[in-house]
Amino acid sequence: MTGGLIAAVVAVFLALRFRSRLRRRATGQPTQHVGLDSVTSDVGLVALREVKERFRGRIFRVGTLLILAVVAAAIVIPTLDRGKAEPLRVGLVGSLSAPARAAVVAAAHGVGTTVQFVPEASEAAAHTQLRSGDIGLAIVEDRQLIVDKPIATTDTSTSAQFVFAAANNLGVLAAVEAAHLTPAQSSQLAAAKALPVSSLQPGKAKGAVQGVSIIGLILIFVMLSQYNTWILIGVMEEKSSRVIEVLLSAVRPIQLLTGKVLGIGLMAFGQATLIVVVALALAKSVGSDLLHGTAPVVLVSTLAWLVLGYAFYCWVYAAAGSMAERQDQVQTLAFPLSLPLIFGYVVSLTAASSGNPADWFKVLAYLPPTAPFAMPVLVGLDAVTWWEFLASAVISVLCTVAVARLATGIYRRAILRTGGRVKLRDVLGRAAG
Amino acid sequence: MVSSFLELDGLTRRFGPLTALDNLSFSVPSGQVVGFLGPNGAGKTTTMRAVFGLTDLNAGVVKWNGVPVGQAERRQFGYMPEERGLYPAMRVSEELEYLGRLHGMGGAAARAATATWLERLGIADRAESKVDALSHGNQQRVQLAAALLHGPDVLILDEPLAGLDPSGIDAIGEVLGEQARSGCCVLFSSHQLDQVEDLCESVTIIDHGRLVVTGTVDDLASSGPRRLVVRVEGDRDAAWARGLAGVSISEVDGGAARLVLEPEVDSESVLRAAMAAGRVNEFVFERRRLSEVFREALG
Repeated sequence: MTGGLIAAVVAVFLALRFRSRLRRRATGQPTQHVGLDSVTSDVGLVALREVKERFRGRIFRVGTLLILAVVAAAIVIPTLDRGKAEPLRVGLVGSLSAPARAAVVAAAHGVGTTVQFVPEASEAAAHTQLRSGDIGLAIVEDRQLIVDKPIATTDTSTSAQFVFAAANNLGVLAAVEAAHLTPAQSSQLAAAKALPVSSLQPGKAKGAVQGVSIIGLILIFVMLSQYNTWILIGVMEEKSSRVIEVLLSAVRPIQLLTGKVLGIGLMAFGQATLIVVVALALAKSVGSDLLHGTAPVVLVSTLAWLVLGYAFYCWVYAAAGSMAERQDQVQTLAFPLSLPLIFGYVVSLTAASSGNPADWFKVLAYLPPTAPFAMPVLVGLDAVTWWEFLASAVISVLCTVAVARLATGIYRRAILRTGGRVKLRDVLGRAAG
Repeated sequence: MVSSFLELDGLTRRFGPLTALDNLSFSVPSGQVVGFLGPNGAGKTTTMRAVFGLTDLNAGVVKWNGVPVGQAERRQFGYMPEERGLYPAMRVSEELEYLGRLHGMGGAAARAATATWLERLGIADRAESKVDALSHGNQQRVQLAAALLHGPDVLILDEPLAGLDPSGIDAIGEVLGEQARSGCCVLFSSHQLDQVEDLCESVTIIDHGRLVVTGTVDDLASSGPRRLVVRVEGDRDAAWARGLAGVSISEVDGGAARLVLEPEVDSESVLRAAMAAGRVNEFVFERRRLSEVFREALG
């Protein structure tokens, strides 16, 4: 979706450039352009400068590589662990009957691992190996299970779960044998499989989707914080370096501002697209869970809300930047602006982790400042319909238009006022003018 | 050459209780370098910003050839603001090309004009330097290049001579003269009145946002009461001139007395009085200097 959006913006921009060039050639006018053509050219020029300057900056390149490294690690490491999962070593003192052996193997499979049997010369030898950690469990003559340290019933580690399952299976087997069943009946019981469990609520296992939701939340939070801060500082620097007067002697404030947010926005979406493409490609090549279930839908909705969230916040940060002239003023202005971002991020992270969002959280999914975080989480939890998603997006777009109008008014009033931080009340009353 | 003109008509700008511009009207014809003078706080910078729409006006309009100025016209103007402004981290050539393109130039034309002006202003070797690596004087030159790059019809420069060494002032003076001769309207403000007198054909003086006087330097210098510079040997304080009816002493400098004559005073009577006081070494009619015009205009 994001890739499509960028392609559409670039295509429109290139089409307009091409059309203007053709027209200039046709009319023999080499350089001058007016009207809509000049407006789009100016916006394009400003956006292009932003892209070039930001791309040159070390922060962007190093930041992108860092995020890619983190995402790659998050995808690849779990699969490496899975591939390299070593079998649990079980020491056998004396013989282990075939049904008992099958019961232990079944216990290992039940907790997602495998087992390797190690013959022990004596119980003492088994004790030694238990203490040294060479084996995790010793089984003495089908009847006794020994571990090195006591295992709490609350221990959820794979090895602990295996010991419980093996003990249980062997206990059942002993009971079966005590019932003097025929070998065929014993084998049948030993190979018993758990019955499938169906749920009343629709949906799939949430593990992978939950992971994607959380990764998406982190991505949205990091990118919205990063790129909106760029806008804030970029606008402030144009004001403090006084280049703004030179720029505004040639272009309108709205063109300058639109070019800036578009340019920085393209950087953000380009970076996000790169991250998602790399993540999907990696996930496919290593067989990650990222491509399973509703995870791709969550990913796409994350990108959509990154676009909508950026569109909403960028104007607010630009207006704030126009009121500052120094770095310390930027920090004072940035703090209150970051609060809704942090609030949306934290509550959404909590909701995604719990898997059971409260009703008030669903309300946040319709408020433009928090929707970029809350809505993708609801998508991940399968707790929203397509039309609810669309309604929230429409509310966000409408509010963005209103915020952009207000913010450009503030920007226009504040950007040329120098000699100290501009107060909101000084520019708000006349912002619409 | 078709004569063009920039017209400022009834500009009024109030900042709360302060009136920065008070129904200010004057015009800048093409082909002339016009000096824009006034004491600090007179409203010069506000006037120049108003030309570019950088300050809202309570009343009045700026016209170019009789038509109210809009964005399309402003793109053909060049501006050098009082507080210099460039992207400090951009390379000089890239920054100039960018600004040229914002003024409607094509990429190739902007590149060519950048090379031309950097060469012309003597900073071609700094084309690939970052702006903040340049000296103040060279940054000033880059700023001037930014105003000139697109071949503007109107050139508005706010204190372009401030902080420049004599060679820099000469270079800028030469460029302004060339621009005017090529048909550009050139308006620049300065506090260095002697240099303004050397560079300008006309001056406009404002105070408290109101027009005080405007005209050519020649007309202003030759208008007003006659001036004489008289030096009498042995009389360093010009005591001989004190008490002469209709004659006031403007200045005494090393024995040379600058005298201002009332209209009814005959210069020959002054000469006779001087000769009676001693040997006359100097007796010269003098034009008003611009600094005197300025002081007299502002009371």
